[in-house]
Parts: sequence; structure tokens; C-alpha cells
Amino acid sequence: MKIEDLNTGEKITWCPGCTNFGILSGVKQAITNLVNNNKVDLNKIVGVSGVGCYDKIYDYLNLNFFHTLHGRTLPTLFGIKIGNPELTVIGFGGDGATYAEGIAHLVHSCRYNINATFMVFNNQIFSLTTGQATPASEKGLVSPSTPLGIGEKPVNPLALSLINGASFVARSFALDIPHLTKVIEEAITHKGFSFIDILQPCISYHNTTQFLREHVYKLEKVNHNSSNYEDAMKKSLEWDYCYSENSKIPIGIFYKVKKPTYRRQWPQIRTWHRFKRKPDFRKIVEEYKG
Amino acid sequence: MEKQILIGGAAGQGIAKTALLIGKIFTNSGYYVFNYRDYPSLIKGGHNFNILKVSDKPVNSHENFYDMIISLNQDTIDKHREKLNKRGFVLGDKNLKARNLIELDISKVLEETGTPKKFGIDVLIGAFFKILGLPIENVLKVVEEVFKKKTDIIEKLIRRGYTSVEQKIELPEPNEKNKYFMTGNEAISSGAIASSLDIYFAYPITPATPVLHILASKQIENDFMVVQPENEIAIINAALGASYAGAISMVGTSGLGFSLMAEAISLQGISEVPLVLYLGQRTSPANGVPTYTSQGDLKFAVNAGHGEFPRVVVAPGDSKECFYRTIETFYLAYKYRVISIILGDKHVGESNYSFDEFEEPKIKPSNFITTPSEEYKSYSITENGVSPRAVPGENAKVRASSYEHNELGYTTEKEDLIVKMNDKRLRKMDFIKEEINKLKPVSVYGEGKNLIVGWGSTKGAIIDSLKKLENFRFLQISYICPFPTEIVKREIENSNEIILIENNVTGLLGDIIAEQTGKIIEKKILKYNARPLTSEEIVMKVEKVLK
Ligand SMILES: Cc1ncc(C[n+]2csc(CCOP(=O)(O)OP(=O)(O)O)c2C)c(N)n1
Ligand code: SF4
Ligand SMILES: [Mg+2]
Repeated sequence: MKIEDLNTGEKITWCPGCTNFGILSGVKQAITNLVNNNKVDLNKIVGVSGVGCYDKIYDYLNLNFFHTLHGRTLPTLFGIKIGNPELTVIGFGGDGATYAEGIAHLVHSCRYNINATFMVFNNQIFSLTTGQATPASEKGLVSPSTPLGIGEKPVNPLALSLINGASFVARSFALDIPHLTKVIEEAITHKGFSFIDILQPCISYHNTTQFLREHVYKLEKVNHNSSNYEDAMKKSLEWDYCYSENSKIPIGIFYKVKKPTYRRQWPQIRTWHRFKRKPDFRKIVEEYKG
Repeated sequence: MEKQILIGGAAGQGIAKTALLIGKIFTNSGYYVFNYRDYPSLIKGGHNFNILKVSDKPVNSHENFYDMIISLNQDTIDKHREKLNKRGFVLGDKNLKARNLIELDISKVLEETGTPKKFGIDVLIGAFFKILGLPIENVLKVVEEVFKKKTDIIEKLIRRGYTSVEQKIELPEPNEKNKYFMTGNEAISSGAIASSLDIYFAYPITPATPVLHILASKQIENDFMVVQPENEIAIINAALGASYAGAISMVGTSGLGFSLMAEAISLQGISEVPLVLYLGQRTSPANGVPTYTSQGDLKFAVNAGHGEFPRVVVAPGDSKECFYRTIETFYLAYKYRVISIILGDKHVGESNYSFDEFEEPKIKPSNFITTPSEEYKSYSITENGVSPRAVPGENAKVRASSYEHNELGYTTEKEDLIVKMNDKRLRKMDFIKEEINKLKPVSVYGEGKNLIVGWGSTKGAIIDSLKKLENFRFLQISYICPFPTEIVKREIENSNEIILIENNVTGLLGDIIAEQTGKIIEKKILKYNARPLTSEEIVMKVEKVLK
């Protein structure tokens, strides 16, 4: 396939220069590579997105797609995966959607270790609703809804997912497209719940572009052992999602291990719509006969 | 002839199980039984009781007076003795204090047989059936079936109880053998399996929990899946995901969980991903009275979810109806890509009803999935509003969206498309209406110029009250959405006195009837003390409202 096959022809309505464009091209490139290397079947890919600026990716990718509610990408993704385990499901979330509205689902998706990929467009702000603070915003952020500045520290999504059992945990940067592409490919081919927190500066409401460019470094460069939980946890705590001058922000794959997926516990899971069952109504009600 | 038996004790003493066993023994012997269950929201202690109405003729409800009380503690006697008929008696251990006590020396029997205290109830069961003159073989046969093996201790204790008392009551000959004995929840579960359910999603909540348990216990044998995700929001969204992917999906809950699901119900409306939802009402608002009944969520079931979109709401009135209505909800949901709500409550869900036969359902299960062409459009605008259903994974791109969209599913803000899509979705309702007209959306019982109007679980008590009311018909409205306007209007117009009966505070069905038909029913019998109506109560109250 050609990468253009993923275009839909829909008009892209992100702000000109929005870093979401970078993620969109990373996603397209990763899918194209995987399809061309026979790692995934294009027809079997399903996208899932919630609501926020990021969600518009629904209109820009020519895939099977379920555009769900704000914060509900994960339960929908879970349902799709058990509704047909042959599908390759890729979920998209925002930081508001995932770390505020739907955070319970993140905890449980990690626990279930569903065999699916989930990436968060973390711009540390509610963008589509014009720039209010989210639980991912840095301490002290002044926004229209928090004129006094936020008093709390942001959630640490990587540590959170690690501690809850995700088997693939990564962080990427929207402006390093080749690196992002690689991470997405790895995530999609990983068997288990693959979680990527993508640093995605919002140039209109939370423009951290310059800072991130200066402070990110690649885990590959420091010989990080991604199969070691303690090392992964340590690295995940290295940056607190705040903007102090001495911040060091690792990107790459923090953790990747083999673990039984959700499917293991369900011998009966199958591609249901192809399964021919013949319910025998007499047999079903028989036991209630006095 | 009808006999009313109350069995009571503390939670954890096996009251519900024993009542069920007694009911099974009667239905197995050819009697009709209605079994009402009353229990507070606690695990050990408190006061649990069941009321069984037993007859050689069909029975549909219980009463609040008794011919006999089987009592496991003094509390039961103290609480219910006033309702014991003059010639009625109490069966229990010799330590209990009651008028007309048929004493059993349970401790002695247990001591002699060397069995633990919890088996005392079996001595009572044996004695009970002797008093009613049922052959011991009938009793032991069912006991063996229920425990799935021969249980020597239980058999011994039942025999000891049986031989320790005299027969006191002559039961009439039963009319026929072997009745079905089933709760609404069991019937809903069975209806779902018969509809070829693939995945059931639920979170524990009374009174819908039994469906979760029943289906979970049958999933392997019947090749489907039961999942209990983290909360009701996850449940309904996951169910929509699974349905989109091709699985026949269903969720179950009660008022609190249903409230959490409201946003996704709206998502169902616009995404047109089919879904069946069981809403078992309990006494609301909020936690209300958790283990008791009410019909307080009718308008919420009809309106839950923001925006305007089609839906099906059907309220079965007894367990047999639960079975067929459940099958109908699957058919309508998956054929029309709508949400179908089975609206039940604690009373219909947890009471056992008895009946003679199950007729083979006319509706055959189908997921209505089509094989898409490459030009497939997820939201094609069609004459009946239904865009053919396809699932992802084949050669077409299948889209589902929470935003307004064009035929391909891409987001739109275009004026004309918004109108077209709303019209397309709402158009389905006209076709569903035609369908339900073939599904007996209302039932009329009895004959007379006067009319009782009701819905859901009040059905049994109302039908039983007709025997004692003169010149009354009963109009049971099963389909609430779409509403069978013409038939209801006609029935109301053809009646003299019209009385609305509901198990709620304000008469919610009355509002819907007014909205749909323009007819206002002035006379109402409304009960909202969290307990179901009985036929005797209805007869009394009908006389009162007619005065
Ligand atoms: C239940 C609910 N609450 C609020 C909204 C309004 N809303 C739409 S987008 C959005 C913000 C999304 O923020 P985020 O997930 O961070 O995505 P971003 O816009 O930053 O990409 C909100 C709050 C909604 N759609 N649904
Ligand atoms: S508001 Fe921010 S995230 Fe949204 S499109 Fe504009 S730049 Fe991108
Ligand atoms: Mg955001």
C-alpha cells in the first residue's frame, strides 16, 4: 500500500502548525510500514478516538473507526477487542480525556493487558474547549479556569500504567516523527496493552515546543533496559511533567515485557459474528420445568 | 382453592432457597405457584421472608395474609401473626411461641441424626408437605433433582419431619403435571441465550445481579461471554464497542447504573450501534430502598440520553413474557440498529411465576450483519432509515460516530445533512411501530365496561383482582416505546370508569398516555412504599376510588 491510501480527503481543521500533524504522519507511516511488511492487515485495523482536538484524527485516517465519547476510548477499545479478537485496535486519547474524564479506564486497561495500542496526545491542556488546565498540566499553570494557578502536581501516566500492569509503556515526542513512528510500530506489534504518552505541544494554548526540544533525550542513547520493571519505573519518575530548568525528559520505550493477555482467561472468545450458534430454546428453558 | 404460605427467618438461614424448593415441589406435582421474595439489604441476620400462593388454578401474585407460616425464628411469628388467618397455623420448633403452633422437636431430630443446625430447615420441609398431604415421593424426587444427587442426610431429615406430624389440609387434585417455575430474571437470561447472545456486560446491582450470575454460570456451556468491567460507564461503552465489532451484546443494570449509562445511550442513538439493555428497577431515587420494588424509572427509561433518537422500551409483566419480550428486544435492536430496553423491576425479576407451556419463539436469532461491498456506507440514507449493518475486518471501512456525520460517517456541520440524518434516524421509529403492532404491544384481560390500565410487574396482581372485580377489563401496556397510541386511545374511549394502577409516586404511565393520546386518567391507584401491590389491595382501592 501507499501512505496516501490512508488519506480520507476530509479537510483538516487543526490550527496551522499544530503538532497533531506530526502524530498523524507518524501514525500513517507506522501503519503503512506494518501493512507492507505483512505485520498487520489493513482491513483489520480499527481506530478508536474520544473527543478533543486529537479526536479529529478520526476524519483523517481511512480506517475502520469508532469515534466515541470524551474519555471513553479505552472501554470502547476493550469491547471491540473482545467483540472480535482478530482486529488490530488502535486507540487515541487526549490528556484531558484520559487523565481526567476517563482515568479509571486507563488503570483497568493496564490491568486487563488487552492486546491493543493506546496513545495519548498529551498537550497538558484541554485544547478543544479553549485551554483550561487538565490533571496533566504542570503545577502553577494559570488558565482561564484556574486563574490562581493549579496547586497540584500533574499525574504521572507512565508510572501509573507501569504500576497497574501495562506490558508496554512508552513516551514519544510529536515533533520527532521518525522516532514516534518506530515506537508506534513497536506498540502495535507488541502482544498486550501498549501505552504511549505522546508529548504534543499545543501551539495555541500550551506551547512547550521549545522547552521540550531542548530537554528530551532518547532512552536508546543511555542503554536503558526496557525489560526491567525497576529501571522502567525509575525512568518514568525522572520527569515530573513540570518545567524546571534542570528537567531531563526521556523518550522511547520504557518497558516492554511478555505477559498473558486478557484473552487467556476466556477460552470462549472468538470472532463472534462468524460463529454459528444454534440456540435450542427447549433446552435453554428445560431446567425451569418443575 | 388457593393456599398462602409464608416462610420466614433471618438472612443466611436459607429462606429463599427453601421457598424455591417448596415452589418446585408444588409445580412438579402439578400445582400453580407464585413465589414472592422479601429481603432487606444485608447479608446475615435481619428478617427475610417469602410468600407462596399455591393453587390448582393459575395464580399470578401473592397476598398479604396466610394460611400457614413456616417459621425459623420468633421474629417471623411476631411480625406476621396478625396476618395469619383465623384457622391458620404456624409450623416451627417447639421453643417458638405462637397460637396454633404445630410443634416440631428439631433439636432432638438433629441430635439423633448427628446433623448440624443448618439442616433443621429440612425437618420443617418434611413436616410441611405431610400437613398438606403431598406424597413423600414427590418431595424427595424434586429434592434429589435440586441437589443434583441423592442426599442421604437431607432425605432422612425430611422423612423424620414427614412422619412427625399429621395431615391437616386436603389439597385439590392438581390439573396437570409439571409446570415451569421461573423468575423474570431467569426468563430474561434464557431469552438472551435464545437470541444467540455473544457478550453480556454488567456490574453487580440489585435486582439485575441474578442475570449476571445466571449468564456467567452458563457462558461456557452455551459459548458466550460474560464480562464485569470496572463500572457502568465502561460497561455500556465496551458493549457498544463489541457490538460494532460484530458481537451480539447486552448490558444489565438498575437505576444507579442506568444513570451512569445515559451519555452512552445517547451515543448509541447517533452511532446506531445496536444494543440491548436490561433495566431492573428498584426503589429510587439514588440508593432508595435497594432490595425492594418500584416502577419509578419509566420516564427515565423513555428519555435517558441527551438528544432525540429512536429507541425501544418494553416492559414485560411476568416471567413468561420476559422471555419473549427479551427475544423481541434483540430482534428490534439488531435489525433497526437502535437501543432496546427491557424494563423490569425487582418484583417481576425476582418472583417465581408458574405456567404450563413455552411456545417456540417465532423470532429466530440474527445479528443482521450484511456483507459489505467496497462502496459500503456506514450511514447510507435509506427508505426505512436503517443503514445495512456491516462489521469491520472485511473489505469495507466501517465507521461509527458520536458526532453528526455524512453517509460515510465523516464528521459534518452541514445544515442539510444534519436534517437528513435526524430524519433518517427518527424514520426508523415508524417502521418499528409497524413491527410492534405484530408483537401484541398491549394485552386486554377480562370483560367489562370499566378499565384498569397498568404496565410491568403489576400485571399479576391486577389479573388476579379481576376475579373479584365486577365489570372490569385490564389493559396491560407492554410496549412503551414506540407507544401503541391508537389501541390505547381506543380502549380508553370504549370504557366508562378508567383507573390507572402503578407502583410509583406520581403515575408515570398516566403522563405518557396523556402525552401520546391526549387522554387524561383522573382516577389513580398508586403504591410507593417499595412493596408490590396485591390483588386484595387492588380490589379494596378500586372500590374506594370509585366512590
Ligand atoms: C462528558 C464531556 N464533558 C465535556 C466535554 C467537552 N469537551 C470536549 S473536548 C474537551 C477537552 C478535551 O481535552 P483533551 O482530551 O486534552 O484533548 P485536546 O483537545 O487537548 O486534544 C472537553 C472537555 C465533552 N465532550 N464531554
Ligand atoms: S488548539 Fe492546540 S491542539 Fe488544538 S488544533 Fe490548535 S494547536 Fe492543535
Ligand atoms: Mg489535551
